[in-house]
Amino acid sequence: MNRRNVLAAVLGTVLLLVTGCGTDEAVAPAPAKAQVPLPAGAKVLTEAPEAPPAQSCANPTYSLRPGPLPAPTALPAGSTMAKIRAKGHLVVGVDQNTNLFGFRNATNGEIEGFDIDMAKQVATAIFGSPKLQLRILTSQQRIPALKSGEVDIVIRTMTINCERLEDVDFSSVYYLAHQKVLVKTSSEVDGIGQLDGKRICATAGSTSLANIPKRAPKAVPVQVADWTDCLVMLQQNQVDAVSTDDTILAGLQAQDPSTEVVGDSLEDEPYGMAIAKEHTDFVRFVNAVIEQMRTDGAWADAYKTWLAPRLGKATQPKVEYKD
Amino acid sequence: VSAPAVSPPTARTESPKPAGRFTELNELARTTPGVLTILAVGLVLVSVLVGVFTAIGVQTRSTALDDLATSSGPLSVAAQDIYRSLSDADATATGAFLAGGEESADQRARYLNDIAQAQASLAVAVAAREPADVTAPDSPLATLSGKLSSYTGLVETARANNRQNLAVGAAYQREASNLMRTELLPAAQKLYATETGQVAGDQVDAGGFPWFEVLVGLIGLAVLVGAQVYLRRNTNRVFNVGLLVATGAAVVSLLWVVIATLGVSTNVDQSRELGSADVEALAQARIAALTARSDETLTLVARGSGAAFEKHYVAVADRLGGQDGDGGLLRAAHDSVDSDDVRGKVEDAQRAWTQWRDVHGDIREHDDGGDYKAAVDLTIHGGETGAAARFDEVDSALQDALASTQQSFNDEVTQASHAITGTVLGVIVLAVLMAAGSVVGIWQRLKEYR
Repeated sequence: MNRRNVLAAVLGTVLLLVTGCGTDEAVAPAPAKAQVPLPAGAKVLTEAPEAPPAQSCANPTYSLRPGPLPAPTALPAGSTMAKIRAKGHLVVGVDQNTNLFGFRNATNGEIEGFDIDMAKQVATAIFGSPKLQLRILTSQQRIPALKSGEVDIVIRTMTINCERLEDVDFSSVYYLAHQKVLVKTSSEVDGIGQLDGKRICATAGSTSLANIPKRAPKAVPVQVADWTDCLVMLQQNQVDAVSTDDTILAGLQAQDPSTEVVGDSLEDEPYGMAIAKEHTDFVRFVNAVIEQMRTDGAWADAYKTWLAPRLGKATQPKVEYKD
Repeated sequence: VSAPAVSPPTARTESPKPAGRFTELNELARTTPGVLTILAVGLVLVSVLVGVFTAIGVQTRSTALDDLATSSGPLSVAAQDIYRSLSDADATATGAFLAGGEESADQRARYLNDIAQAQASLAVAVAAREPADVTAPDSPLATLSGKLSSYTGLVETARANNRQNLAVGAAYQREASNLMRTELLPAAQKLYATETGQVAGDQVDAGGFPWFEVLVGLIGLAVLVGAQVYLRRNTNRVFNVGLLVATGAAVVSLLWVVIATLGVSTNVDQSRELGSADVEALAQARIAALTARSDETLTLVARGSGAAFEKHYVAVADRLGGQDGDGGLLRAAHDSVDSDDVRGKVEDAQRAWTQWRDVHGDIREHDDGGDYKAAVDLTIHGGETGAAARFDEVDSALQDALASTQQSFNDEVTQASHAITGTVLGVIVLAVLMAAGSVVGIWQRLKEYR
């Protein structure tokens, strides 16, 4: 090595040290994979949700016989209704995401639907006008909200069953729905029997979720917070089907013409208005309101407004009472 | 001139076997000219090493300063911008959603600008990193660049559905907000923490006492002094001009480095005290204000089941303004900043915050009392006294305070850069002078043997 080379090498080394430059390694772009986000709280259940317990009570849909329906100004002193009237408004637990039953009208920001019309009838019976305060509840929040007294009544596509009757009281049946399946029209599925190994969406805590393993033991249940989250997941190809009451499915189908409601009725789903225990006066009062809707046409009006265009003709369900 | 007596060069003939360079050197070392030659080579080597190591030390400092000015400093600003833009975009999008079909053109423009700003700042942040940093699966930059488009896609889907009055729009909006709050904002916060950590690291690198350079310089000086002592003993000369020049160069180099570095230290300390510490305090307050605004809007979007958001709002509000409205992060920022101008801005923010908190109380009263529409109105419209306007006041006051604090930071860093300019070159030139002086000085002595 001659002197010039040595010098060059030393200078080169010094230059490198001083400037801190090195040769960059070539980096090939790592293979990237899109991660489609999930709705908040969505969960693929690896274990089957608790199967609905066999009806452990006789005739769960039999509610208390309707009481008298006094004028709003003549509510019995000390009654639950009088207390609600004193408060200034009826606090109702509802849904904001179930099209046709309880949903937010995006144009005016108001919550509307069949359940809201029912709530207005109850409030009008207490105040003479629909003085409502709506509280949005997810399926799971319904019973805790009643127990804590946060809401006076829950009118939110809530199916009457024995398990729930241990925690709350129900009014008489105000609507009778049937559990079915919503799939994409392109899927060629025409019933829950063809969904083995497929993902089926339902809201956490709903009877629909619990019914899935019973009717399709090999399907994978996916739970979400709200029914519209199921439609989001269906549109994002994260689930293959949504299974719940035809009323709710009709509301989802109305938002996406590439979907359809298929299959026979899996379960009857009698809807009741839920009221905290030990307010039997209020249960009888509400049942009287439901009876009144049968005669004054309020139920038929609400049905015609919200459901008739999608579910065809129907009449208010017949009810029976236990005493 | 009499040369001192030396042993005659007879070794070669006496031991011919281990012939080689080592033997030759060994022999050379026994003669005074030989010793002098080795001394010259040694001094040149020491000069070069002192020059190189001192230059490296100063260059490291200078690089740290450059980073502060052009990399970590601006990147911490970019990271903060990303957080702010994303957080504001989400609050605006949910606010517009609350307004239903009457989403105003202003709100839409604000959302789009926020996204554009976030993408521009993100591009800056990505460009400053090695590709591997960006592609690492859990890196905040991978999350941000990968999922921001998912977020905007969801918001547009929500908007399209909302326009058609479809309830599924709200579900898409919630999914978007959830993505923002659980993935994008935490990634932005992580990025910000990394970048401010980098700023602090660069400040340490740029501002510390130059122990290493001083040590190297002193070693160089010691060797030079030692060489002169040796020469004086062995050659009976008191002064050697060449070596004196070399020693002078070494002293100047050492003093230059020490003085320049102390100047840099002062500026860097100032950049921390007047700049980055205040930026940090202000940025924390701003992030809290943005979070409070998101919570306020989402509480209403959740309509009745927003208790978790409201609870979060209360916690964030306490953190931002303290229990009594005159504490928390705003108070801390107020006490931290040094210029009266910036303190005035923070006071503006404190005033607007107190008013916003009052409006929020009204909003909750309306909502809890069942007047949802009035609550929404006060939140997203409400004119100059509404929550939207109050939030904007807080945000823009803090924005101004941040901009001017950032300017102080930049000024100090620029001054520090000036203080150190030319030092590397000077140190190298002085090292060359040191080497040259040593060679000339020894050559003077060596000549006497010819």
